Amino acid sequence: MSPPQLPLRFFRWFCHPKLRDSIEGDLMELYKERLIKNGKLKADAHFIKDVLLLFRPGIIRPTEGYQNLNSYGMYKNYFITAWRNVIRKKSSAAINVFGLTLGISCALIIFALVNYHLSFDNFHTDADRIYRFVTEEHRDEVEYDASVPPPFGKFFREDYTFSDQVARLYTGDNELITIERIGEKNKFNETIAFAEPDFFKIFNFPLSTGNPETILVEPNTAIITKKMAAKYFGDESAIGKVIRLNSKIDFTVSGVLQDLPVNSDIQTEIYFSYSTMKQYNEWAASDDAWGGITSSIKTYTKLKPGVNPTDVEQAVDEYVKRFRPKSKNVHHYKLQPLNDVHFNARYEGVMSKTTIWILSLVGVLLVLTASLNFINLTTAQAINRSKEVGVRKSLGGARGQLFWQFTIETGLVVLVATVLALAFSYAILPQLNSFLNTNISINLFTDTRLLLFVLALIVVVTGLSGAYPGIVLSGFKPVLALKGKLSGKQTGSFNIRRALIVTQFSISQILLLGLIVMFFQMRYFSKTDMGFDTDAIIMMPVGSNDEKLKTVKSQLLQVPGVENVSLCFGAPASDNHWTTSIKFDDRAETEPFSISHKGADEDYLSTFSLEIIAGRNLTPSDTVREFLVNENLLSQLNLASPEEILGKNITVNGSWKGPVVGVVKDFHEQSFHADIKPVFLTTSGNTYNSIAVKINMRNANETLTSIEKVWSGMYPDLIYKYDFLDDQIASFYQTEQQMVSIVYIFASIALIIGALGLYGLVSFMAVQKTKEIGIRKVLGGDVVQILWIFGKEFTALVVVAFLIAAPVGWLVMTEWLSNYAFKVDISLWMFALELFIIALVVLVTVGYRSLKAVVANPVESLRSE
Amino acid sequence: MAQLLILQIGIYYSRMKKYQLGEFEEVVMLTVGILYGEAYGVSIKKEIESRLKRGVSVGALQTALRRLEDKGYLKSHEGEATEERAGRPKKYFTITAYGKKAMEYTRSTREELWNAIPKVALKVVTGFRLPVADNLQLETGNNE
Repeated sequence: MSPPQLPLRFFRWFCHPKLRDSIEGDLMELYKERLIKNGKLKADAHFIKDVLLLFRPGIIRPTEGYQNLNSYGMYKNYFITAWRNVIRKKSSAAINVFGLTLGISCALIIFALVNYHLSFDNFHTDADRIYRFVTEEHRDEVEYDASVPPPFGKFFREDYTFSDQVARLYTGDNELITIERIGEKNKFNETIAFAEPDFFKIFNFPLSTGNPETILVEPNTAIITKKMAAKYFGDESAIGKVIRLNSKIDFTVSGVLQDLPVNSDIQTEIYFSYSTMKQYNEWAASDDAWGGITSSIKTYTKLKPGVNPTDVEQAVDEYVKRFRPKSKNVHHYKLQPLNDVHFNARYEGVMSKTTIWILSLVGVLLVLTASLNFINLTTAQAINRSKEVGVRKSLGGARGQLFWQFTIETGLVVLVATVLALAFSYAILPQLNSFLNTNISINLFTDTRLLLFVLALIVVVTGLSGAYPGIVLSGFKPVLALKGKLSGKQTGSFNIRRALIVTQFSISQILLLGLIVMFFQMRYFSKTDMGFDTDAIIMMPVGSNDEKLKTVKSQLLQVPGVENVSLCFGAPASDNHWTTSIKFDDRAETEPFSISHKGADEDYLSTFSLEIIAGRNLTPSDTVREFLVNENLLSQLNLASPEEILGKNITVNGSWKGPVVGVVKDFHEQSFHADIKPVFLTTSGNTYNSIAVKINMRNANETLTSIEKVWSGMYPDLIYKYDFLDDQIASFYQTEQQMVSIVYIFASIALIIGALGLYGLVSFMAVQKTKEIGIRKVLGGDVVQILWIFGKEFTALVVVAFLIAAPVGWLVMTEWLSNYAFKVDISLWMFALELFIIALVVLVTVGYRSLKAVVANPVESLRSE
Repeated sequence: MAQLLILQIGIYYSRMKKYQLGEFEEVVMLTVGILYGEAYGVSIKKEIESRLKRGVSVGALQTALRRLEDKGYLKSHEGEATEERAGRPKKYFTITAYGKKAMEYTRSTREELWNAIPKVALKVVTGFRLPVADNLQLETGNNE
């Protein structure tokens, strides 16, 4: 007979395994006795009662598993020891945590930045089948254009079956939008787009209201994002409302898009039906505009599965023969994969893969120097832990256990640093975003990749920083350690420490060198003469084909403080280019180079202080065709002197023909990235897009207000808007400015971390050389002599690091400068400056600590034995 | 080794406090002493039940034994496994030297307290219930 099974099993489950057998024996013995004495029923009842009364704290097994109890206690001890060490050595712990926090913060921010850029437009369905049509323009040189001629998309859709969808997108900046609401007119300056209906089938921008099958199919319809709907119409539904473009074309809103994801290069929030484009820009909408390419129109397609892009590229070559048989500018149409769009600088990509790689590399280097720094400081203080290691080893601690103990300690420091770094990155993210024009977010709980990265970072940094100190510390010989007779050799080789410092300093010197070169290149931009006047000139954008322009000009000239006014296509240097081809004189062939066309009136030269070196200015006439050219054109045409071109005819695009009346001194027509190219100037009223006004800065505010009055008098419907020319030119170099600032920050951080490491090393040396210094002083050595012990060590380290950093820095920066047609030379004095800054940092870091060691009373250092 | 060190430090600290022995714990200790060499779960339970005429649950007893062992007053070893115990070993308990000190301490504190009661206090009681008090004194006398 056996007791009831259920309570027995319950007992076996809850009972502490160590007690289970003996208590179960007792229970069995009692059960058998009662069975004989009282019968089964009572015995069972008693058994159940006993089991239930046994269910109490002393008997129930611990939940965490009793077998690990001992190790837990030991781990707890590791934590306590680690904490005590931190408390005892507050300053060095702070330096360690600070250094690691800096390094890890940089790594986090760079990771977030890289991750953000890599995520661009990766959310579209079948993104691997989405392509953009681009053009290679083969003349003397190959130029790259991220667009194709305007009718390309239409023809491709009708002629070939390679694609599921083809869509054209026209994007325009600074367009005037008027919304009439409750009798009130609201004006906005917006970026707008004309899109073919298929655009929203290719790209995954879902509608929040509206029918995806019919949007943008009807002419004069529009869709806008939720954000725009709220901005224009508040709480009212946007559907059916009217949006007026440039005060002439009305569109009815037929759908509302959900807000666009931040990680897309497509950020236009207003889309108009493409079929309405004729009313907006006749040329771009026409079916035979094969003569040119406008960067405003992009053509996208989603290929059918399995279609090879090369086949498509070969097929569309036929368009060149069909539509551009005679052009010297031979087009090659290519397909650019969507995942290349964000990164390919050749086709307007914003973030080159190289930059991403460099940033990642800088991140790795910074984490590395922070880890090296940690190793340096920890091993320098290893001697302080020697007693502990001695005691642990004599009590039976194995080397492996000690190694893990110190690794756990490092892990704790790294963990603290990571938490601080997260908080820090989170805090500076808004500034960073507004500075870089990005939308990066750091959210550990929703972003799995970030979470994994942080975990990996903790493990890797712990491994990097903890392994070597762990090996050194756990390797102490217990007897020597307890006697306090450890020599420097056992606390980690001095040479390894030197190597670490040299590595660290090479890294910071490369960054510093880069910073210096960039700084002077930027200075070169702002100081070098563009070849024309940029001061005190304001540029106002106007619509083309404007009959009122001449009146506006004469009114502006009346304003006191206005010195000069010119109607023109654009400033001498601007982001807007119009390139074309010319025929010279009676040469049979079109010239094999592109030339920049600048429409300008007779006041252009005086407004921008451009210099005529031969001939005369243009005559103020719209009917007489005359040309001004730049010097560069002469060399392109192989002409020796300006006289050879004066009076000769040039023909532009087969339509405009006229004599060259003057030659202008070369000026920079684009940023310093590009070489000076051939340019001609001619009067042509219908190409004027801007009014340039040279003002007197003494009463600038009054002048600007008066100009605004003239403007609103003439254009009551338009928004008054102007830019200073020098600001516009500075914006050419915005990317470089950002780059310089980032490098500046990273170089400073690398320097700070390097200085911390140096401080660690010099403290270590000071402790080690206490006796030596004492003896030298007693024997009559003077302070300067003894200081040189430290001095020569660090001079040597800096020089070695410099020898490594200088060639690397030179290579990298030469490569960077090759992006610019106009650049500074990397000269010796830049290296000297870099070396001087490093020397200063070293002097400040090392000087104080070593001086403290040297002036100490030798009695103190010598008697301690 | 380090664990042993910690354990010893633990014992050292508990010695700083006075020996603590609850009423039931004291009964168990005494019974283990009575059953010298034969004290295991069932035998202790039966001994207490027969001598003190009170029921003892296995749970209460085992908890007390475990606590006493943790305190270092008792030590245990495993004995033979018999058939009526379904092959489970008995766990025998013996009193440690430290346990003996604890018992002596408890006894001496009791006696100190007894001795500290002023005679008058007992007399007041006797004055009111003379026959009983006489009886008591008589019995005490007999016992001695």
